[in-house]
Amino acid sequence: MAITNDVNELDKVPLLRLKSIGKKYGEFSALDDVELDIFSGRIHCMLGENGAGKSTLCKIIYGEEVASSGSMLYAGNDYEPLAPADALANGIAMVHQHFSLIHNMSVYENLMLGYVSGVLDVAEFVSYLINLSKRYGLDIDPYSRVSELSVGQQQRVEILKCLMREPRLLILDEPTAVLLPDEIDALLTTCKQIVAEGRSIVLVTHKLAEISRVADEVTVLRGGKQVMQCEFSEEQVDAMISAMIGSEIAISDLRLAGLSLAENIDVIATTNNDEKSADRKASQCMIIDDLSFVDERGNQCLSNITLEIKAGEIHGLAGVEGNGQTELGDILAGLSMPTSGRLYMPDFELTHATPSQITAAGVGIVPENRHRVGCIEELDLTENLLLSSIKNYSRFGLLNRKAMRDAAKILIDRFDVRAPSADVGFNNLSGGNQQKAVLAREISIESLRFLLAAHPTRGLDIGAVFAVYEHIRNSAKAGVGVLLISSELDELIAVCEKISVIYRGQIVGTLPADPQYRDQIGALMSGSGIQQRHSA
Amino acid sequence: MMKNYFNEHAQVLLTTFGAVFLALMIGLLLVYLTADDFSDALVAFFDGMFGSTYAVGASLNRAVTLALVGMGFVFASRANLVNVGGEGQIAMGGIFAAAMALYGGVSDLPLGLAWILPLIIGTLAGSFWCGIAGVLKVQRGTNEVISTLLLIFIGLLVVYWSVQSDSLLRKPRTNSSTLPESAEIPESTMLPYLMDDSSLTLHVGLLFAVIFAVIIWILLNKGELGFRLRAIGLNDIASRRAGISAKRDMMLAMFVSGGFSGLAGAIMILGEQWYVTAGFSSGYGFDGLVAGLLARGSVPGVLMAALFFGFLRSGGLTMEMMSGVPSAVVYIIQGLVVVFIAGASRFADKRD
Repeated sequence: MAITNDVNELDKVPLLRLKSIGKKYGEFSALDDVELDIFSGRIHCMLGENGAGKSTLCKIIYGEEVASSGSMLYAGNDYEPLAPADALANGIAMVHQHFSLIHNMSVYENLMLGYVSGVLDVAEFVSYLINLSKRYGLDIDPYSRVSELSVGQQQRVEILKCLMREPRLLILDEPTAVLLPDEIDALLTTCKQIVAEGRSIVLVTHKLAEISRVADEVTVLRGGKQVMQCEFSEEQVDAMISAMIGSEIAISDLRLAGLSLAENIDVIATTNNDEKSADRKASQCMIIDDLSFVDERGNQCLSNITLEIKAGEIHGLAGVEGNGQTELGDILAGLSMPTSGRLYMPDFELTHATPSQITAAGVGIVPENRHRVGCIEELDLTENLLLSSIKNYSRFGLLNRKAMRDAAKILIDRFDVRAPSADVGFNNLSGGNQQKAVLAREISIESLRFLLAAHPTRGLDIGAVFAVYEHIRNSAKAGVGVLLISSELDELIAVCEKISVIYRGQIVGTLPADPQYRDQIGALMSGSGIQQRHSA
Repeated sequence: MMKNYFNEHAQVLLTTFGAVFLALMIGLLLVYLTADDFSDALVAFFDGMFGSTYAVGASLNRAVTLALVGMGFVFASRANLVNVGGEGQIAMGGIFAAAMALYGGVSDLPLGLAWILPLIIGTLAGSFWCGIAGVLKVQRGTNEVISTLLLIFIGLLVVYWSVQSDSLLRKPRTNSSTLPESAEIPESTMLPYLMDDSSLTLHVGLLFAVIFAVIIWILLNKGELGFRLRAIGLNDIASRRAGISAKRDMMLAMFVSGGFSGLAGAIMILGEQWYVTAGFSSGYGFDGLVAGLLARGSVPGVLMAALFFGFLRSGGLTMEMMSGVPSAVVYIIQGLVVVFIAGASRFADKRD
């Protein structure tokens, strides 16, 4: 395929133009009125939190999803892809977050699939591959098995698969999320080489530190809306951060002000006065001491996490998703064991405790993944509310259904779970009511002393958000220490007293939850501002 | 809500009975095509099922075996575990029950202990056999369908070995034509008959089946254990988080499930066969599995399915003897029932 080198002309006419693209899933609007110009020979970075609509937008361009509204122009012509094949025929290729490689085949066999037919000339194909990989600095051995490759190497194979088609536009969906720092360097260099040939790249990410090294243009998405589009410049980075994390400080503060803000500042003041060591000791609630976790694939998910949550304190853990929060949550819940380090309460060692021991120690867990960990949707509301205390309703091995229903009704009233009856199927409840039920179960644990709430308001409507924070705050008032994991900075600032920031499995800073520190916290979340730490 | 619930159950019943009916019709067609005289064959078939008190007793005894295996299947399936290894567990239960009856020194014990102890040993042997699959499942994540299935083949070969080996169960050779089988168990260790009527060979196994059905029904539907198993089967991570020991309960489910088949094997030896031969289990484990499948997790359903297949098998055997129609027809019907039900539920799922 011929690629024009006339940069001047191409600068004016975009290779791909998106005109007010929208995508709805039922009532939910994943994308709303997105306008985008992608130019040849440029790297276009798409920034945004999880769920901001970046992946959906990529899928629309690649033909995996069809836009609900709007239109696209590609190289001056109408472009309406109905399937990836349409995109590929037009020279648009995409590397997904999840690879589609056949693990027990070699690299060259994987790349041959669907590319060659008839009589195979392996030697010629391999030498072609070697040339191609040299051209883009994608170092890979064509004869090695995919199952023996690291994630970064597998990604190179995926990129090669796209480059073999000589694409004019290459979409990379969160390519750096799975890479190590030096692999990221190599990938960004490759990207530059690709666009140097006049091709375009759409690079999806939520890490600003990397963008500043390659981006020509930047689009920021938030909640399906395009909140910023500009040519990249260092001066714009702060604006990008606030666009990505949400610039509606005033609105969201108002939203949560009723619950929190003024009062919280008082609490910060009082706790700051209480720094005497004896008092601190007495008020310790949960101590995470030098905790590290390496998952079964060898990824260092958590490194030397040290946090101390005091009784009656709401401690926020901010961070873009996928920086180790899930793993920390699983460890606190007793679902996985730390590789090293300790986890304890003043009178309970919890490092290797089972979930039931953790519950017995007075620890409540509102897990990040409600459907997988928090509830059993096929059971009814009563059964889910009493899941962890089912033994209390069993006599001679038989369940006392009436006592269960009565206990459930009390919780349903207290936590305002809106349900037609106590024995309604859990999957018939709305997400907000499901979350209230999970919260009800965990907060009503006997002698609750510590509560982990991971993304407790995700996907909830505003009324439920209020209710969830009301309950969390009431628990804190009653002396329960709370660790609140969230990627919504506004909520954390409004509800917490202190915010620690987690980035790549490390705590990169702890700051008071005060609006004046929001930009600083935002910068820590996106990994910028901790460059020194990396090089040190 | 109520309407949905009703519809769901009505649909399940409808597909089940529809599948059974359709399979029976095809079975009838096969009989019609193969029998020299269609009406004679049918008469023989019904004679085999209800023709005499002996026939009814034999049918019921068969049903007992199938019901026990089927209940074991249903018990494990509550925790989303599939124990297809009833045949192997029957084999182990039978061997150990026979060994206990023959060489355990129980024959002089009072109060029925002479046959109760071998039954217990047989049950434990079945539990142990299925427990192997349970350990593999919870420790190594081995698929229990595969492991219970493969344990069948080992179990059957253990039977063969034990009746071939003089140092195991083989009866003393008195002449060159002594068959490779165990000696007959002492009379005191045989299961007592329920009635004095010598033509009705119905043994106490029926009581066991009924009592256990009631216990299992209560445990699964009213008990904490049943709730825990259901929770684990639906979502083991959420169950673990809620403090339910998924590994322990899964082991327990496999143990109980295998125990039922082990008991079935012990009852086959102590109740009807009285000595062990290679292949004594003759497919009851698989037939019980079908009864369990047909019941779709319901204990009363298992009893009904077991009765159905028990009588069907008796009828088929008599029909083969009297009119030359192979009793394989019964197996064809059994197989068709499974295929139809699987097909029907797939059809129903698609429609949703």
